[in-house]
Amino acid sequence: MNLEDYRVVFSAVGLIGVLLFTSPALSLVVHLPGPEKFSRLYILGPGHMASDYPLDVSADESYMVYLGVGNHLGSSAYYGVIVKFRNQSEPLPNSTSGVASPLESLYEYRVFLEDGKSWEAPLTFSFLDVRFSENQSLIEGLMINGVEFNVDKAASWDVNGTGYYYQIFFELWLYDAKADLMQFHNRFVDLWLNMTAPV
Amino acid sequence: MSGLLKQRAKSFAWLLLVLMVAGLLSFGPLCVRGTGDASASVGEADVAVRQAFNATLDAERAGANVSSLILRLNEAGGILVEAEIALGNGNSSEAASKAGQCIGIAESVKGDADVLKTSALDGALTVFWASLAFSVVGVAVFVVVLAVVWRRFRRGYVGKVLGAKPRVVSNEP
Repeated sequence: MNLEDYRVVFSAVGLIGVLLFTSPALSLVVHLPGPEKFSRLYILGPGHMASDYPLDVSADESYMVYLGVGNHLGSSAYYGVIVKFRNQSEPLPNSTSGVASPLESLYEYRVFLEDGKSWEAPLTFSFLDVRFSENQSLIEGLMINGVEFNVDKAASWDVNGTGYYYQIFFELWLYDAKADLMQFHNRFVDLWLNMTAPV
Repeated sequence: MSGLLKQRAKSFAWLLLVLMVAGLLSFGPLCVRGTGDASASVGEADVAVRQAFNATLDAERAGANVSSLILRLNEAGGILVEAEIALGNGNSSEAASKAGQCIGIAESVKGDADVLKTSALDGALTVFWASLAFSVVGVAVFVVVLAVVWRRFRRGYVGKVLGAKPRVVSNEP
Protein backbone atom coordinates (compact mmCIF):
# COMPACT_ATOMS: atom_id res chain seq x y z
CA MET A 1 0.00 0.00 0.00
CA ASN A 2 1.32 3.45 -0.84
CA LEU A 3 0.61 6.75 0.92
CA GLU A 4 -2.38 7.53 -1.28
CA ASP A 5 -4.04 4.24 -0.29
CA TYR A 6 -3.51 5.05 3.38
CA ARG A 7 -5.04 8.48 2.80
CA VAL A 8 -8.19 6.84 1.41
CA VAL A 9 -8.37 4.51 4.44
CA PHE A 10 -7.99 7.46 6.84
CA SER A 11 -10.65 9.44 4.94
CA ALA A 12 -13.09 6.51 5.15
CA VAL A 13 -12.41 6.07 8.88
CA GLY A 14 -12.89 9.84 9.33
CA LEU A 15 -16.22 9.83 7.48
CA ILE A 16 -17.54 6.87 9.47
CA GLY A 17 -16.42 8.51 12.72
CA VAL A 18 -18.08 11.82 11.86
CA LEU A 19 -21.34 10.02 11.00
CA LEU A 20 -21.20 8.09 14.28
CA PHE A 21 -20.67 11.22 16.33
CA THR A 22 -23.38 13.20 14.53
CA SER A 23 -25.94 10.35 14.69
CA PRO A 24 -27.46 11.41 18.09
CA ALA A 25 -28.18 14.91 16.75
CA LEU A 26 -29.26 13.60 13.33
CA SER A 27 -31.75 11.18 14.91
CA LEU A 28 -33.57 14.14 16.46
CA VAL A 29 -34.01 15.82 13.08
CA VAL A 30 -34.19 13.01 10.51
CA HIS A 31 -37.06 10.54 10.98
CA LEU A 32 -36.81 7.35 9.00
CA PRO A 33 -40.05 5.75 7.77
CA GLY A 34 -41.34 3.22 10.31
CA PRO A 35 -43.02 -0.12 9.71
CA GLU A 36 -46.38 -0.46 7.93
CA LYS A 37 -49.26 1.21 9.79
CA PHE A 38 -52.46 -0.74 10.32
CA SER A 39 -55.19 -1.69 12.79
CA ARG A 40 -56.53 -5.15 13.61
CA LEU A 41 -60.13 -6.06 14.42
CA TYR A 42 -60.97 -9.63 15.35
CA ILE A 43 -63.49 -11.90 17.06
CA LEU A 44 -62.57 -14.88 19.20
CA GLY A 45 -64.87 -17.65 20.36
CA PRO A 46 -65.97 -18.14 23.97
CA GLY A 47 -62.81 -20.15 24.69
CA HIS A 48 -60.66 -17.19 23.65
CA MET A 49 -59.68 -19.10 20.50
CA ALA A 50 -60.52 -18.61 16.82
CA SER A 51 -63.00 -21.49 17.05
CA ASP A 52 -66.39 -22.49 18.53
CA TYR A 53 -68.11 -19.37 17.24
CA PRO A 54 -71.88 -19.46 17.81
CA LEU A 55 -73.82 -20.37 14.65
CA ASP A 56 -77.09 -22.10 15.52
CA VAL A 57 -78.77 -19.81 18.00
CA SER A 58 -82.13 -19.77 19.75
CA ALA A 59 -84.16 -17.36 21.84
CA ASP A 60 -83.55 -18.93 25.21
CA GLU A 61 -79.77 -18.92 25.12
CA SER A 62 -77.04 -16.40 25.78
CA TYR A 63 -73.91 -16.36 23.62
CA MET A 64 -70.48 -14.93 24.16
CA VAL A 65 -67.59 -13.92 21.93
CA TYR A 66 -64.52 -11.79 22.47
CA LEU A 67 -63.92 -8.67 20.43
CA GLY A 68 -60.39 -7.44 19.90
CA VAL A 69 -58.63 -4.43 18.42
CA GLY A 70 -54.90 -3.99 17.81
CA ASN A 71 -53.22 -0.66 17.19
CA HIS A 72 -50.17 -0.56 14.89
CA LEU A 73 -50.62 3.01 13.66
CA GLY A 74 -47.42 4.38 15.15
CA SER A 75 -49.18 6.48 17.79
CA SER A 76 -52.06 6.22 20.25
CA ALA A 77 -55.48 5.88 18.66
CA TYR A 78 -59.11 6.40 19.60
CA TYR A 79 -61.29 3.64 18.16
CA GLY A 80 -65.01 3.04 18.07
CA VAL A 81 -66.26 -0.52 17.65
CA ILE A 82 -69.87 -0.38 16.52
CA VAL A 83 -72.17 -3.39 16.74
CA LYS A 84 -74.84 -3.79 14.04
CA PHE A 85 -77.32 -6.51 13.17
CA ARG A 86 -78.77 -7.45 9.78
CA ASN A 87 -80.73 -10.01 7.89
CA GLN A 88 -79.51 -11.37 4.55
CA SER A 89 -81.12 -8.64 2.47
CA GLU A 90 -79.65 -5.70 4.36
CA PRO A 91 -76.31 -4.10 3.44
CA LEU A 92 -72.92 -4.79 4.95
CA PRO A 93 -70.19 -2.10 4.90
CA ASN A 94 -68.74 -1.54 1.44
CA SER A 95 -65.03 -2.37 1.63
CA THR A 96 -64.36 -1.15 -1.91
CA SER A 97 -65.65 2.35 -1.33
CA GLY A 98 -64.83 2.33 2.39
CA VAL A 99 -68.38 3.20 3.43
CA ALA A 100 -69.94 1.90 6.65
CA SER A 101 -73.24 0.03 6.65
CA PRO A 102 -76.19 2.44 6.81
CA LEU A 103 -77.86 0.21 9.40
CA GLU A 104 -78.55 1.58 12.86
CA SER A 105 -75.76 1.21 15.38
CA LEU A 106 -76.88 -0.86 18.36
CA TYR A 107 -74.01 -0.91 20.77
CA GLU A 108 -70.66 0.80 20.84
CA TYR A 109 -67.29 0.40 22.48
CA ARG A 110 -64.95 3.37 22.74
CA VAL A 111 -61.37 2.22 22.96
CA PHE A 112 -58.15 4.16 23.47
CA LEU A 113 -55.00 2.25 22.60
CA GLU A 114 -51.31 3.02 22.63
CA ASP A 115 -49.24 1.98 19.63
CA GLY A 116 -48.47 -1.74 19.64
CA LYS A 117 -51.14 -2.52 22.24
CA SER A 118 -54.28 -4.63 21.93
CA TRP A 119 -57.69 -4.49 23.56
CA GLU A 120 -60.13 -7.31 24.14
CA ALA A 121 -63.60 -7.33 25.68
CA PRO A 122 -66.31 -9.96 26.03
CA LEU A 123 -69.57 -9.41 24.20
CA THR A 124 -72.62 -11.35 25.31
CA PHE A 125 -75.81 -11.39 23.30
CA SER A 126 -79.18 -13.08 23.35
CA PHE A 127 -82.39 -12.82 21.39
CA LEU A 128 -85.75 -11.63 22.70
CA ASP A 129 -89.23 -12.23 21.30
CA VAL A 130 -88.37 -14.56 18.45
CA ARG A 131 -91.29 -15.80 16.38
CA PHE A 132 -91.54 -18.21 13.51
CA SER A 133 -94.22 -18.19 10.85
CA GLU A 134 -94.35 -19.94 7.51
CA ASN A 135 -90.85 -19.73 5.97
CA GLN A 136 -89.98 -16.70 8.07
CA SER A 137 -88.53 -15.88 11.45
CA LEU A 138 -88.83 -12.58 13.25
CA ILE A 139 -86.49 -11.28 15.95
CA GLU A 140 -87.97 -8.34 17.80
CA GLY A 141 -85.25 -7.72 20.35
CA LEU A 142 -81.57 -8.24 20.85
CA MET A 143 -79.81 -7.96 24.19
CA ILE A 144 -76.16 -6.95 24.04
CA ASN A 145 -74.11 -6.88 27.25
CA GLY A 146 -77.32 -6.63 29.26
CA VAL A 147 -78.80 -3.77 27.24
CA GLU A 148 -81.99 -4.39 25.26
CA PHE A 149 -82.40 -3.15 21.70
CA ASN A 150 -85.45 -3.26 19.52
CA VAL A 151 -84.37 -4.71 16.14
CA ASP A 152 -87.47 -6.11 14.39
CA LYS A 153 -85.61 -8.20 11.84
CA ALA A 154 -87.29 -10.79 9.68
CA ALA A 155 -85.40 -13.50 7.80
CA SER A 156 -86.74 -15.82 5.15
CA TRP A 157 -85.90 -19.51 5.05
CA ASP A 158 -82.60 -19.93 3.21
CA VAL A 159 -82.96 -22.98 0.97
CA ASN A 160 -79.20 -23.25 0.32
CA GLY A 161 -78.09 -22.81 3.89
CA THR A 162 -81.27 -24.39 5.27
CA GLY A 163 -81.86 -21.91 8.05
CA TYR A 164 -82.96 -18.42 9.00
CA TYR A 165 -79.76 -16.47 8.70
CA TYR A 166 -78.85 -13.22 10.42
CA GLN A 167 -75.53 -11.54 10.84
CA ILE A 168 -74.12 -9.61 13.75
CA PHE A 169 -71.21 -7.50 12.61
CA PHE A 170 -68.71 -5.12 14.12
CA GLU A 171 -67.37 -2.05 12.36
CA LEU A 172 -64.10 -0.38 13.35
CA TRP A 173 -64.15 3.41 13.39
CA LEU A 174 -61.14 5.64 14.02
CA TYR A 175 -61.04 9.17 15.38
CA ASP A 176 -59.32 11.56 12.98
CA ALA A 177 -57.78 14.31 15.13
CA LYS A 178 -57.30 16.69 12.17
CA ALA A 179 -60.91 16.44 10.98
CA ASP A 180 -62.16 16.11 14.60
CA LEU A 181 -64.54 13.27 13.76
CA MET A 182 -64.92 9.52 13.90
CA GLN A 183 -64.48 7.91 10.51
CA PHE A 184 -65.14 4.37 9.33
CA HIS A 185 -61.75 2.63 9.31
CA ASN A 186 -62.83 0.22 6.55
CA ARG A 187 -62.56 -2.85 8.72
CA PHE A 188 -65.35 -5.09 9.92
CA VAL A 189 -65.81 -8.61 11.18
CA ASP A 190 -69.03 -10.60 11.30
CA LEU A 191 -70.75 -13.66 12.68
CA TRP A 192 -73.41 -15.59 10.80
CA LEU A 193 -76.22 -16.74 13.06
CA ASN A 194 -78.87 -19.31 12.17
CA MET A 195 -81.98 -18.74 14.27
CA THR A 196 -83.49 -22.00 15.36
CA ALA A 197 -86.66 -22.78 17.32
CA PRO A 198 -85.99 -23.87 20.89
CA VAL A 199 -86.30 -27.66 21.27
CA MET B 1 -126.67 27.27 52.47
CA SER B 2 -126.61 24.38 50.04
CA GLY B 3 -126.37 26.92 47.20
CA LEU B 4 -123.26 28.44 48.76
CA LEU B 5 -121.71 25.01 49.19
CA LYS B 6 -122.51 24.16 45.61
CA GLN B 7 -120.89 27.40 44.42
CA ARG B 8 -117.75 26.72 46.49
CA ALA B 9 -117.56 23.16 45.20
CA LYS B 10 -117.89 24.50 41.67
CA SER B 11 -115.13 27.07 42.25
CA PHE B 12 -112.91 24.37 43.77
CA ALA B 13 -113.54 22.10 40.78
CA TRP B 14 -112.58 24.94 38.40
CA LEU B 15 -109.44 25.68 40.39
CA LEU B 16 -108.50 22.00 40.33
CA LEU B 17 -109.08 21.87 36.56
CA VAL B 18 -106.98 24.98 35.96
CA LEU B 19 -104.19 23.57 38.13
CA MET B 20 -104.28 20.26 36.27
CA VAL B 21 -104.15 21.95 32.86
CA ALA B 22 -101.31 24.20 34.03
CA GLY B 23 -99.50 21.16 35.39
CA LEU B 24 -99.90 19.28 32.13
CA LEU B 25 -98.73 22.27 30.10
CA SER B 26 -95.61 22.78 32.22
CA PHE B 27 -94.74 19.05 32.50
CA GLY B 28 -94.38 18.53 28.75
CA PRO B 29 -91.71 21.20 28.20
CA LEU B 30 -90.01 20.04 31.40
CA CYS B 31 -89.70 16.53 29.98
CA VAL B 32 -88.39 17.84 26.67
CA ARG B 33 -85.98 20.15 28.43
CA GLY B 34 -84.77 17.26 30.61
CA THR B 35 -84.02 15.14 27.56
CA GLY B 36 -82.53 18.10 25.72
CA ASP B 37 -80.24 18.95 28.64
CA ALA B 38 -79.12 15.34 28.96
CA SER B 39 -78.50 15.16 25.23
CA ALA B 40 -76.45 18.36 25.37
CA SER B 41 -74.47 17.00 28.34
CA VAL B 42 -73.69 13.78 26.47
CA GLY B 43 -72.60 15.88 23.47
CA GLU B 44 -70.34 17.95 25.74
CA ALA B 45 -68.89 14.77 27.22
CA ASP B 46 -68.14 13.50 23.71
CA VAL B 47 -66.33 16.76 22.88
CA ALA B 48 -64.46 16.70 26.21
CA VAL B 49 -63.23 13.15 25.54
CA ARG B 50 -62.01 14.14 22.07
CA GLN B 51 -60.19 17.18 23.44
CA ALA B 52 -58.62 15.05 26.15
CA PHE B 53 -57.45 12.55 23.53
CA ASN B 54 -56.03 15.34 21.35
CA ALA B 55 -54.10 16.68 24.34
CA THR B 56 -52.86 13.16 25.12
CA LEU B 57 -51.73 12.74 21.51
CA ASP B 58 -49.85 16.06 21.69
CA ALA B 59 -48.15 14.94 24.92
CA GLU B 60 -47.19 11.65 23.28
CA ARG B 61 -45.74 13.45 20.25
CA ALA B 62 -43.69 15.59 22.63
CA GLY B 63 -42.22 12.37 24.00
CA ALA B 64 -44.26 11.87 27.19
CA ASN B 65 -45.32 8.47 28.52
CA VAL B 66 -49.11 8.55 28.22
CA SER B 67 -50.00 5.05 29.49
CA SER B 68 -51.80 6.32 32.59
CA LEU B 69 -53.73 8.91 30.54
CA ILE B 70 -54.87 6.23 28.07
CA LEU B 71 -56.10 4.14 31.00
CA ARG B 72 -58.22 7.03 32.28
CA LEU B 73 -59.45 7.85 28.77
CA ASN B 74 -60.73 4.27 28.50
CA GLU B 75 -62.59 4.80 31.75
CA ALA B 76 -64.11 8.04 30.38
CA GLY B 77 -64.99 6.29 27.10
CA GLY B 78 -66.80 3.51 28.98
CA ILE B 79 -68.82 6.02 31.00
CA LEU B 80 -69.65 7.97 27.82
CA VAL B 81 -71.08 4.79 26.25
CA GLU B 82 -73.16 4.21 29.41
CA ALA B 83 -74.42 7.81 29.18
CA GLU B 84 -75.41 7.30 25.54
CA ILE B 85 -77.23 4.06 26.38
CA ALA B 86 -79.08 5.78 29.24
CA LEU B 87 -80.03 8.62 26.89
CA GLY B 88 -81.26 6.12 24.30
CA ASN B 89 -83.40 4.44 26.97
CA GLY B 90 -84.92 7.77 27.95
CA ASN B 91 -83.18 7.86 31.33
CA SER B 92 -82.19 11.53 31.19
CA SER B 93 -81.02 11.94 34.78
CA GLU B 94 -78.65 8.95 34.55
CA ALA B 95 -77.42 10.13 31.15
CA ALA B 96 -76.68 13.61 32.51
CA SER B 97 -74.99 12.21 35.62
CA LYS B 98 -72.78 9.84 33.59
CA ALA B 99 -71.96 12.64 31.15
CA GLY B 100 -70.90 14.81 34.09
CA GLN B 101 -68.63 12.05 35.40
CA CYS B 102 -67.15 11.61 31.95
CA ILE B 103 -66.49 15.34 31.54
CA GLY B 104 -64.76 15.38 34.94
CA ILE B 105 -62.37 12.59 33.98
CA ALA B 106 -61.78 14.01 30.48
CA GLU B 107 -60.95 17.47 31.83
CA SER B 108 -58.56 16.02 34.41
CA VAL B 109 -56.87 13.96 31.66
CA LYS B 110 -56.56 17.06 29.48
CA GLY B 111 -54.99 19.03 32.34
CA ASP B 112 -52.51 16.25 33.11
CA ALA B 113 -51.72 15.81 29.43
CA ASP B 114 -50.87 19.52 29.10
CA VAL B 115 -48.56 19.30 32.12
CA LEU B 116 -46.91 16.14 30.76
CA LYS B 117 -46.47 17.80 27.37
CA THR B 118 -44.74 20.83 28.86
CA SER B 119 -42.44 18.66 30.94
CA ALA B 120 -41.72 16.38 27.97
CA LEU B 121 -40.91 19.38 25.76
CA ASP B 122 -38.49 20.69 28.39
CA GLY B 123 -36.87 17.27 28.60
CA ALA B 124 -36.73 17.01 24.82
CA LEU B 125 -35.05 20.40 24.59
CA THR B 126 -32.40 19.32 27.11
CA VAL B 127 -31.84 16.10 25.18
CA PHE B 128 -31.62 18.06 21.93
CA TRP B 129 -28.95 20.45 23.22
CA ALA B 130 -27.04 17.61 24.90
CA SER B 131 -27.08 15.59 21.66
CA LEU B 132 -26.02 18.61 19.63
CA ALA B 133 -23.19 19.42 22.04
CA PHE B 134 -22.06 15.78 22.07
CA SER B 135 -22.09 15.68 18.26
CA VAL B 136 -20.25 18.98 17.76
CA VAL B 137 -17.61 18.34 20.43
CA GLY B 138 -17.31 14.67 19.44
CA VAL B 139 -16.78 15.47 15.76
CA ALA B 140 -14.28 18.24 16.55
CA VAL B 141 -12.22 16.03 18.90
CA PHE B 142 -12.39 13.09 16.51
CA VAL B 143 -11.27 15.17 13.51
CA VAL B 144 -8.39 16.72 15.46
CA VAL B 145 -7.26 13.33 16.80
CA LEU B 146 -7.51 11.79 13.34
CA ALA B 147 -5.52 14.68 11.81
CA VAL B 148 -2.78 14.29 14.43
CA VAL B 149 -2.65 10.52 13.90
CA TRP B 150 -2.56 11.03 10.14
CA ARG B 151 0.33 13.54 10.37
CA ARG B 152 2.35 11.21 12.59
CA PHE B 153 1.57 8.25 10.41
CA ARG B 154 2.53 10.17 7.24
CA ARG B 155 5.75 11.40 8.82
CA GLY B 156 6.64 7.90 9.91
CA TYR B 157 5.73 6.47 6.54
CA VAL B 158 7.76 9.05 4.57
CA GLY B 159 10.73 8.60 6.93
CA LYS B 160 10.52 4.89 6.49
CA VAL B 161 10.45 5.21 2.70
CA LEU B 162 13.32 7.72 2.62
CA GLY B 163 15.36 5.62 5.07
CA ALA B 164 15.04 2.51 3.02
CA LYS B 165 18.29 1.41 1.32
CA PRO B 166 18.23 0.42 -2.33
CA ARG B 167 18.93 -3.22 -2.86
CA VAL B 168 20.37 -4.71 -6.03
CA VAL B 169 18.91 -7.97 -7.05
CA SER B 170 19.97 -10.13 -9.86
CA ASN B 171 17.60 -10.39 -12.74
CA GLU B 172 19.02 -13.64 -13.91
CA PRO B 173 17.01 -16.75 -13.71
